[in-house]
Amino acid sequence: MEQPPSSPDQGLIAYKVDRVLDETNTDTKILVLSRQDGQLDTFPIWIGAAEGHAIKLALDTTLTPRPMSHDLIKSIAEHLNVHVRRIVIGDVKNSTYYATVYLENNGVERTVDARPSDAISLALRTNAPLYITEDVLARRNTANLDLWLAKQDKNSMNQQEVRES
Amino acid sequence: MITQMHLKGLMFDPYNNAYIVVLRDEEGHEMLPIWVGKAEAGAISMALENVAPPRPMTHDFMKSVLDAYDAKVISVVITDLNENTYFAKIHLMYEDSEYTVDARPSDAIALALRSNAPVFAKETVLNKQSSEELEQWLENLKPEDFGKLDS
Repeated sequence: MEQPPSSPDQGLIAYKVDRVLDETNTDTKILVLSRQDGQLDTFPIWIGAAEGHAIKLALDTTLTPRPMSHDLIKSIAEHLNVHVRRIVIGDVKNSTYYATVYLENNGVERTVDARPSDAISLALRTNAPLYITEDVLARRNTANLDLWLAKQDKNSMNQQEVRES
Repeated sequence: MITQMHLKGLMFDPYNNAYIVVLRDEEGHEMLPIWVGKAEAGAISMALENVAPPRPMTHDFMKSVLDAYDAKVISVVITDLNENTYFAKIHLMYEDSEYTVDARPSDAIALALRSNAPVFAKETVLNKQSSEELEQWLENLKPEDFGKLDS
C-alpha cells in the first residue's frame, strides 16, 4: 500500500463525531466533535437540519432505500477511483468554519473546499479521518461556545439527541 | 427510447408537505412530476435561480469533487418509477471512460443543473405516470403555491 502523497501536517488534532444535538426552537442542529485521543474537549458546530440529518444517518449507519446526497458523492468517488484521504477544518471566518477535503486518485491529490457538515458527512461514509488545525482550535468562537454551554445547562433536562421523523 | 425533459417548475404541495419538481418535454406533451423533500427542493431551486450561496451547498460540493478530477456529467436519465419512488442514472465521463451512477432524481437533477447537463426520462417512466393524476394535483394547488420558475 502506497503512502498518501502527503501526510497530515503538524498542528492537526484528530477529532471524531460525538453526536448531533437538536438546537431548541430552531431549524439548526449542533454537531458535536470530540477529540479522538480521549482528551476532554468538545467542538460544537452549528449546522442546518438537513445536514444534521445526513450526518445522523451516517452515524447510525442507517440504510436508506435510496442513496442520499452524500451516499451519491461517495458513490461517484468510488466509480472514479477517488479516495477521501482526510478532511481538515482549517479556517474560521465570522463564526463560519471552513473545511478542506483531501482527495487522492492514483497518487494525484486534490483539495476541495466544503462546509464542515458536507465534509464530515462524506468522511463518516468513507471512514476518512477528521482533523482540526490548532490555529482554528485557538481561534474558535468562544462566545458561541459559552452561549451553547449556558443553553446546555438550562436545557439539560430536556436536551435530547436528534430524532429523525 | 428516452425523451429530453426540461424543468418546468418547482412547487409546494401543501397536502403532502413536500415539493414537486415538474419536468416537461419540449412539445409539452409529457409531464413528469417528482415529489422531493425540502432540502432537495432547495438544492434545485438555488441552481434554477442562479443563487450563489456564501458557502458551497451539498451539490456544489458534489460538483467540486467532479471538477477536481475533470470528470463531467454528460446526462441524467430518470429510469424507473417504482411504488412512487423514482430512480435515476447519472452518466459521467472521466478520462475517456463513461460511468453510470445510481441516484435519486432530486440529486441527479440538482447536479445536472449545476453541470449544464441534459435531463432525460425513459419512455416507460412517462407511460407509467398518468397525466390525469398530475392535472388533478395542479387543480388542487393554489396560484401562490407556484414558484416564479415558469420559463
